[in-house]
Amino acid sequence: MGKVLLLTMIKGIKKPKGRMFLMKKAYRLLLGLVILSLLVSCTTMAAPKSLKVIMGLAEEEWNVMREHIFPAFEKEYNVKIEAYQTEAQDTEKILEARAKANRMDIDLISQDNMRLATLVERGLVEDLSEYRSLIPATVIPALVDVGEFGGKLYFLPYRPNIEIAFYNSLKFAQYGLKPPTNWDELFNVARTFKEKEGVARVAIKADLSPCTTVHLFDFCRSAGGDPVVLDDKGCFEAFVFLQKLWPYLSPDSKTANWNFMNRHIATESVYLGQNWPFGMNVIVKDGGKKEVLAYQGWRGPVKESHVLGGDVIGIPKGAPNKALAIEFAKYLMSKEVQEKLATYNGWPAVRSDAYGTVEEWQRPYFDAINEALKYAEARPNLLYWDAVDKALGEAFREGVIEQKPVKPALEKWAKFIRDNKR
Amino acid sequence: MKTAEKTGVVLAEKKVDQKKMRAKVKRVLLFLSIIAIILLILIPIYLLFKISVSAPQDILTQHPPFLIKNFTWKHWLKILSAGQIWNPLWKSVIVASMVALLGIIIAAPGAYVISRLPKKIKYGVLLAIFSTRMFPEVGIALPISVTFIKWGLLDTNLGLVLAHLIRVLPLMAWVLTGTFDTIPRDLEQSAVVDGCNKIQALVKVVLPLSLAGLAAGAILSWLESWNEFTYAIYLCLADTTLPIKTYYYISRGNWFESAAYAVFLTFPVMIITFVLQNYLKSDYLSGALKY
Repeated sequence: MGKVLLLTMIKGIKKPKGRMFLMKKAYRLLLGLVILSLLVSCTTMAAPKSLKVIMGLAEEEWNVMREHIFPAFEKEYNVKIEAYQTEAQDTEKILEARAKANRMDIDLISQDNMRLATLVERGLVEDLSEYRSLIPATVIPALVDVGEFGGKLYFLPYRPNIEIAFYNSLKFAQYGLKPPTNWDELFNVARTFKEKEGVARVAIKADLSPCTTVHLFDFCRSAGGDPVVLDDKGCFEAFVFLQKLWPYLSPDSKTANWNFMNRHIATESVYLGQNWPFGMNVIVKDGGKKEVLAYQGWRGPVKESHVLGGDVIGIPKGAPNKALAIEFAKYLMSKEVQEKLATYNGWPAVRSDAYGTVEEWQRPYFDAINEALKYAEARPNLLYWDAVDKALGEAFREGVIEQKPVKPALEKWAKFIRDNKR
Repeated sequence: MKTAEKTGVVLAEKKVDQKKMRAKVKRVLLFLSIIAIILLILIPIYLLFKISVSAPQDILTQHPPFLIKNFTWKHWLKILSAGQIWNPLWKSVIVASMVALLGIIIAAPGAYVISRLPKKIKYGVLLAIFSTRMFPEVGIALPISVTFIKWGLLDTNLGLVLAHLIRVLPLMAWVLTGTFDTIPRDLEQSAVVDGCNKIQALVKVVLPLSLAGLAAGAILSWLESWNEFTYAIYLCLADTTLPIKTYYYISRGNWFESAAYAVFLTFPVMIITFVLQNYLKSDYLSGALKY
């Protein structure tokens, strides 16, 4: 056989037919099959079978995602979205463990925009600056700003959120009061409730957690101050006002955070308080307190200002399917998805050209959210955020709760911020 | 004389009466304090249950009633029909049971050897083992989880069981050493004299006598694993445990479903405690030795 092959090769004589010829044909067929299977497997490898996503959503919101948002993307890209629940405070831990083990299996995260600094500082998320052009022009600009650190874009906008003021309309009507729209009215309402009922019924979040920081940002900014500076004129004015207001604020203020504020309002121990819009589901939908209505809140002596919250999209460093994750991020920012999220979840849209039709009961709250969003201001992205958080809380404790002179308290804690600047 | 005798008798009777009275008062006080402790333990559980089966208008009011007014299974039906509870429940039961079982299998032989060591060495060894519990969990959870993730133990029962054993083994060693300490060596020696070899003496004499301690250790380690949270956050994403699910509801601020989940979380604990409490008898060793 070898001899025949040699002759064929050297002399180029006519191929001998028979067993040798058939074997060659079989070899070629085999080779073709190998190449074909390699190509098929390469194509299969190039198209991921699943996209792993982590988000923090309520059960109803997950249902909306699974029924109305994911299927269209899965169909278009022939991919299965594996989406899992994580709370914002756990996302850092989950990503850090995987990054350190060099086993990143998560492709995309949606994260609370108030918990981004750590992710950037620890190098857990990709720099998305090259994808800046994917952000639709109609997106709320402040929500783009929150994703930037040191001039680089790490997060893409996805869902805005803002605090609104919930009030017990029956109690307000009982005493002939209207929801306050400025600081003077807020003071009068707080004083009237205390005088009429003997117990203060207006609350702010004063548990000295990051929730308090959000409220202090609103008060300082609406007086023209910068809470990161803290010892400026605007912050001084805000703290002096809060000191005056404190005796007329509900004792529940000291325990009021994002969770307990809902409880205080729902159990009627507080008649007016600001919280995130999910409160409408807890207080009104689940709790049946239809008399609790909402509006955008109050303005200060200089302007109206509300801290912009919400979620943004990030891609973990080393994500296995980055290209597809970017496509998914683009899809989540699209008009079609934003309209669905507004319609089914009652979320305000991230872009001004997306309109959803919310359920009738949600309408007043949705309107309040959209009204408040007009005065939304993002918090600055600072790597020394912990220091700012602590300084604001401690200045509030000394100047407002303990009623000590405001100026020295602000100066002391402003210095603390300056000393911890990074 | 007679009067003096009579007075003496009366005084003695009075003393006896006083003693009886004191004993009665003591018993009543003991009884009252037991009731107070039981109430302290049961009232929070009752309140949780009450919230989970009450209509919102009963809870969301300035003065909620202590008793259930408008009973409803609505919140329970919601969490049960969502279908999110069974997998986490199953995972938690499997992991906790494996931790309890493996904990006993690993810790019991070690604890037996430690208990038979000379006193000075014994406490040194025990302290050394127990010192591993001094590190705050949040501090060591990350490096341990990183190692487990590298080993491919993410989202596996085995990964979580191994992580929980880190917490549980020192505790088990401590409890079981105490148990084996209470079993006199003479019993083993008597068994050997009666014809048992060392292993037989261990299996037939020591092990049955240590059942109470083993049961206590098993309950403790089962509960430790059942309630564990930090490692579960790191090591479970697709397949979570029941405490993580409960935490999820609490984080979302839904009181009624959180309460239903929290009550649900206690059922397996009750079952396991009732099953194992049969072994928790204090009189196992009474009359074991006759001198």
